[in-house]
Amino acid sequence: MSGTVNETMTPSLLERRGATRQLEGQITGCAIARDSGQVAFVTGEGDIMVASRPDWGRSDAWDVTTVHDGAILAIASDAASTGFLTGGDDNALRRVAADGSVTDLVKGRRWIEHITTWCNDKGGVIAFASGRQVELRDASGQTTLKVLEHPSTVSGIVFDAKGKRIAASHYNGASMWFVQAKVDTVRPLEWKGSHIGIAIHPAGEALVTSMQESELHGWRLSDGHNMRMSGYPSKVQSMAFTRNGKWLVTSGADTIVMWPFFGGGPMGKPPTEAGGIPGVMCTRIACHPVHDIVAAGFADGSVLMADTGAQRILPVCLAGGGAVSALAFSPDGCALAFGTEDGRAGVVDLSAR
Amino acid sequence: MSDTVQASPDAAAQNALVPVTVLTGFLGAGKTTLLNHILTAQHGRKYAVVVNEFGELGVDNDLVVDADEEVFEMNNGCICCTVRGDLIRILGNLMKRRAKFDGIIVETTGLADPAPVAQTFFVDEDVRGKTRLDAVVTVVDAYNVIQTLEESPEAVNQIAFADVIILNKTDLVDEVALATIESRIRSINAVARLHRAQRGDVPLSDVLDQGGFDLQRALEHAPHFLEDTSHSHEADVTSMSFEVEEPLDAAHFQAWIGALLQEKGADILRAKGILNYAGEDRRFAFQAVHMMADGDFIGPWKAGEKPVSRLVFIGRNLNRPQLRRGFESCRAK
Repeated sequence: MSGTVNETMTPSLLERRGATRQLEGQITGCAIARDSGQVAFVTGEGDIMVASRPDWGRSDAWDVTTVHDGAILAIASDAASTGFLTGGDDNALRRVAADGSVTDLVKGRRWIEHITTWCNDKGGVIAFASGRQVELRDASGQTTLKVLEHPSTVSGIVFDAKGKRIAASHYNGASMWFVQAKVDTVRPLEWKGSHIGIAIHPAGEALVTSMQESELHGWRLSDGHNMRMSGYPSKVQSMAFTRNGKWLVTSGADTIVMWPFFGGGPMGKPPTEAGGIPGVMCTRIACHPVHDIVAAGFADGSVLMADTGAQRILPVCLAGGGAVSALAFSPDGCALAFGTEDGRAGVVDLSAR
Repeated sequence: MSDTVQASPDAAAQNALVPVTVLTGFLGAGKTTLLNHILTAQHGRKYAVVVNEFGELGVDNDLVVDADEEVFEMNNGCICCTVRGDLIRILGNLMKRRAKFDGIIVETTGLADPAPVAQTFFVDEDVRGKTRLDAVVTVVDAYNVIQTLEESPEAVNQIAFADVIILNKTDLVDEVALATIESRIRSINAVARLHRAQRGDVPLSDVLDQGGFDLQRALEHAPHFLEDTSHSHEADVTSMSFEVEEPLDAAHFQAWIGALLQEKGADILRAKGILNYAGEDRRFAFQAVHMMADGDFIGPWKAGEKPVSRLVFIGRNLNRPQLRRGFESCRAK
């Protein structure tokens, strides 16, 4: 068991600084509002559970409401300082405001499987994917800015850091669009096969997709050069760039896998392994917004944090129950939220005391 | 740590895999009628239904998902490995509300090749981890089938892929014609279970819970098929079955079948077998779709049953002597 989480009698980070609650159904996602004031978990039963910051340590105060008739497939923080957007297999997109009020934004004909938002001081944009379409709306969620058509069902969407471009993954590659363009012209990034997830470098240097064949594909955006990152024992369900863009951190192995995006990498460079649990698959990762820290959730329900520089590991919660299916840091870095396939939801307060 | 780590596989094992029934059949054969018959029957079970958007009739069910039948080719060296990516996505999302249903039924469009659907269950780790392909059920219109088979390779493939064939609209043809039709279907697929029906009125036990496939049972239903060597149309889809009475060498068989599927997988639509491996008292169930194969040990041989290895191929351009020699060469020394 060397190299694994150190198991001593000391209580885990979760026990000392967090709380958990058991819900009905699978936790399908979690998000934290842009002002870091509320954590939200969504479930396969259509429920949302919201934990306000003063109550992070008291899970009996977390508020559970049913917002969809069916599974909730996507959640994102709203394009405002507070609130959340949820999408479900009832084909609806809904807004859950900080006060708990629920508004219908879309009632369509297809599952709403992906939602992402972008905002700054001047305004924001909401994007959601439904079938082959990606629809962009203004921050109010009431006005459609544009509808972007793709050759097959969209499997992931991402805004670049400045909110200027949006990219969508699908069969045989990804499509990149300018958010504000008067006339929509796609930049096609082609690679044969089924692409099942997407991430963009924070400085816009590269676009990376996850593939059905348990590997990653990337395009250098300056010249369209192809990158291939392979060697995974299973599909990469979760990936993110670190805040400075040095590393692409991914799930898909029994260790946290980090691809270097510096010094000419990732081409010709092996990935770094930032610690893991032998024989247990990493299922979710999240990158800290301030520090050089990544969080990882595993198939046995355990969660740990690792220092990307020093290769140190800090256990957050120990194994038990279903695989980790949701994981997020708050934008201010003071909270880590996680959820599992068997309905366990947890929040850990990381703020200085 | 070991205590807690081991807890999750045990828990996972108790959650049985969700059975998926794939419903195929040519346009107008009565797929949707059969589907509605299944859904409205009093079986006390709930099904999630995945339909194609060009469905002929409405489907009366709480949980209906529209699929686009988006097929893609895997980059895995298998030239014919096409997969339904939309099905991977839909099944994955349906499993998020696992408690809401007991099984899943996937209806395909009339012109669909069943291979991508079947191969999806071989290829994707998440689909395999949570669901199992219970059976491919093909609905055939007795009135039109002979002509359809002449005109459409898709219709031939749908029969070739079937575990269960529902010969529907039997009230529209006479007994002589039915015998001809059944013999034509048997010449393509000798191992599928064949049931006659009118307006899709089959007992649900003929369609659901088929348990993958049971070659033993299939062979009981088609006792003459093993000896039938009369087919002369080599380019047509046919079934060929082989038996070896001596135990097989497992490694030898894997090597032979692997090489065979790699070379001839484009022509071999399906292969199924119940095998007796030397030194093993359990039966080994083998199955393949084109180049994709897998297998697992199933229960022991029944008391008094001869542990004979049986292998069936359904495909085009099958070379009987070559296949027989290959299979026989896998005998344990």
